[in-house]
Formats: sequence, C-alpha cells, structure tokens
Amino acid sequence: MSVLLIAVVSGLLYFLGTSRIGYGLSSAIGAPVTLGFVFGLMFGDPIKGLILGASINLLYLGVVFTGGNVPSDGCLAACIAIPVAFQLNLDVDTAVTIAVPFGILGSFIDQIRRTSNLIWLHKADDCAAKGDQKGIYWCAMIYPTIVAFAIRFIPVFVINMFGANVVQTILTYLPQFIITGLSVAGGILPAIGFAVIIMSIGRKELLPYFFMGFFAVKYLNVGTMACAVFGICIAALMYFKSNKKGEVA
Amino acid sequence: MTEQKRLLSKKEVNQSHLIWYLAAETNNSYERLQAPSFCAAMARNLRKIYPNDEDYKEALQRHLEFYNTEGTIGSVVVGIALAMEEEKAKGNLTGDVITGIKLGLMGPIAGIGDTLIWGMSKAILLGLACTFALQGSPIALIFPPMFSILIFVLGRYTCNLGYKLGSEAVPKLLKSGTMNTLITAASVLGLFMMGALSASYVKVATPLNWVISSTGAAIGLQANLDAILPGMLQLLAIFGIYWYFTHKGQNYIKLVLTILLISIVAAFFGILG
Repeated sequence: MSVLLIAVVSGLLYFLGTSRIGYGLSSAIGAPVTLGFVFGLMFGDPIKGLILGASINLLYLGVVFTGGNVPSDGCLAACIAIPVAFQLNLDVDTAVTIAVPFGILGSFIDQIRRTSNLIWLHKADDCAAKGDQKGIYWCAMIYPTIVAFAIRFIPVFVINMFGANVVQTILTYLPQFIITGLSVAGGILPAIGFAVIIMSIGRKELLPYFFMGFFAVKYLNVGTMACAVFGICIAALMYFKSNKKGEVA
Repeated sequence: MTEQKRLLSKKEVNQSHLIWYLAAETNNSYERLQAPSFCAAMARNLRKIYPNDEDYKEALQRHLEFYNTEGTIGSVVVGIALAMEEEKAKGNLTGDVITGIKLGLMGPIAGIGDTLIWGMSKAILLGLACTFALQGSPIALIFPPMFSILIFVLGRYTCNLGYKLGSEAVPKLLKSGTMNTLITAASVLGLFMMGALSASYVKVATPLNWVISSTGAAIGLQANLDAILPGMLQLLAIFGIYWYFTHKGQNYIKLVLTILLISIVAAFFGILG
C-alpha cells in the first residue's frame, strides 16, 4: 500500500476523530479502539487493528477534558502508532510505546485550534451586532471546522509520510532500557485516568467500592463485563434503598 | 407558572439542542470558550421570541458572553435560557438575570457532567470496548456509538426539561435528595468499575529476584508481593498519582513526563519491567 494513501487516510481519520462535531460523536469515532478497527480494515487485518487500538485506548480511558483542556490526545497517538505498527509489523507493546509521546503532542495541537478560534469568535461578535443568524452558525460551526481540518490533517499527514522510516531508525538505535522504560510507562499511564476519575468523584467514603471492584478482578478473576453487571446491581440497590429511606423520613 | 402557554414547540426546543449537540465544542476558544456555540444554539428560537431586530441583536450578544460547561447535562441550561428569554420578552425579567443564572449553573453542572459523562460513562463504555477488542471480538464496536447516543438522548431530555421547568425548578432539582441519591449510586458504579478496570489494565511489575544459594532456585519479588496482596504495585501507582494531583496541583504534562522519567530510570536499574 502506498505511503501517500496511508498518510491521507490517517490525516482524515485524525480530523474526523477530533473535529468535535457532535458532542460525543467525534469522540466515539476518534476512540483509538474504533480507529484501530478502521486501520485494520485498511491493512487487511481488522482483528489485529482492534487489539492495537484497544491497547492504545487503555492509556486514555480516563482522560477528561476538564474546562475544555485536552491533557493528552489518544486520537493522535492512534493515528500515528497504528499505521506505523502495521507497516513495520510491530508488536503491541512497541506500538503503545510509540503512542505515548504523540499523545502528549496532541494537547499542543488542540491549543493551536483553540487559539485560532478567537478569529471566529470576534467575527461572531460582528454577526450578533448585525443580527445575522446565518453568520453566527458559520462562525460557531463551519469556519472553525474548516480551519480545524488544516490544523488536524497536515501534521498527521506529514508525520505518516515519514513516520515508518523514522520510527524504524529510532527503534534500531534506541537503547533497550529506554524501550523497556517506555513500555513500563505504558503500563502505568492508564493509572492517571483512573486516579483523576476517583478524584473527581470525590467521595472518599465510597472508596471501598473501588477496592471491591479491584479485588473482584484480582482474587476472583471476574471479567470486566461481569463487573459492569454486578456494579449496576449494587448501584441500583443503593439507589432504591436510600430513596425509600428518604420517603420514610 | 408551569401551566402557562409556551411559545416554543418541542420541535423548536429540539432544534436548539441539535445545534448545541453539533457545535458545543467546535468553536471553543480561550477567550470565551463555548460562547459562540451557545449563541448559535439559541439563535433561531431567539428570532421567534424577539421579532424586533434591536431586541434580537441584544439577545444574540448576551449569549456571546463567556460560557463553559459540560454539554450533556449542560443542555438543561439551553432549555432554561430559552424559557427565561421568553419571560424577558414579556418584560418579566432583565438580561443580566439570564446571564447570572447561566454563570451560576455552569460550574456545578460541569462538575456533575465531567464526572458522570466524560469520566465514568466514557471510561466504562470504552473500557468494555477494549475488553472485547483485546479478545479479538468485533462486539467491541457497539460500545463507542453507545456513548454518542447516550449523550444525544440525555442532552435532548435535559434540554426539554430545562425549558419546561425553567430557572427556578432546575437549581432546586439539582440540590434535591433524589438527584443526590442518583449521583451517589452512579458514583458507586463508577468507583466499582474504576477498580475493576484498574486491576485489569494498569500494569506494574518488578522483575527483581534473588537466588537462594543452597538450592540455586530463584525467588521473584513480584510473586512474593502478589502473595501478600495482589496488585499492590498497581494500587501504589494509582494512589501515588491521586496523591500527586491532590497535593501538587493538576499539571498533567509534568506528571506524564515524571512517570516517563521514573519508568526509564527504573527500567535502567532493572527495578521495573
């Protein structure tokens, strides 16, 4: 497959995954696990794609864009690491290792986008002063999306044009302990997301439920889907019980 | 008040929600964040509320002021704002009351929404997607769209609720016992799932071992740690980060770089791997 085609598709997917059109719509497209499947179809191995995508997605499970800030960008990580991994036939651990630095880079790309949006904000001010409804729509949606396309597409396109070769070279010369270190970091990084969610829930008295879930997996080997089922039951019990209490009181 | 004849039909309220759903984050800038998106969501219905050009312009400008919240639960504010503009058109309240309500609600709603929607729901649904995907199962693909649908349906519901109940009932509802119980129950589910997902997907292990000289057998430190409490190092990592965030400020990039550095150093000395 030509590198040009790979670069174009990666750039397009990165734009679609981060366009932010549809609150929660582009995030679903841009989830690395979804992207993995799409790249997998392109390279003729959707199952490998799913596994690569999911392994990268785990790093970003708990990332919350508090106040609109993007602390790390799983979509960028996926749009570079997955095609590179397919081209070089890398294993999953190495793919995750490549994903880590690009996830950080993505937060800067979003900063560029949010700065460029200032132009359309001020144009919207003019439209409001004129009572121009259509102009407001353009400033809120169309113009920012056109600029976002350039901001998102170009870097991913360029990196993918040269990415595979550069990564190949880097991997050849990088000392083993750095590669191991990055893979260790890949195992720890998901913890950030979980810690952030525990913190934002902010109910220390409910922490035993966290440990119940944790040790249900560790001691009893309960699967994640099974945990979701039991978790929903426990939450429902809580809800019905304390609602009843409220009625009595 | 609830039985009053309302100006906007359900379809028109839904139109505002649709624009809000589509555009909530597209023009998010550093100066006024979601302001243009909020204004766009209001624009068409404001025209109906204010047939007079001058009033319409003033209303558009009012909704271009600083605004930022979580969009799903925050759809309720779009509904409330429509209801309030309608009241204002009748001369029952002034513009700064509307702005005040918006600014007052956006913080608490962002707190609830970021936690419930972007923290928990996203992590749980995508966590399940990853679980299936890692087993090579395409069932994984049903979970990401479920997240988009959840946001759309819940947002549409809260937007209509906001329009129906207006500015007085919604803050009361947010503070009510039922809401509190609902959030507690959701937090229980969230924490339980975060525990399960952390146990599966946070990976820290040490390759350190020592050899017993008499028998020549190697004993791994990790095996010993697991015998005491499985997942001890994982919990250490999670609550270490938790401690960092609560005590050292929420500098994400610095934290990631610190973890990278620690990992590479630990790998160099063979402590982790």
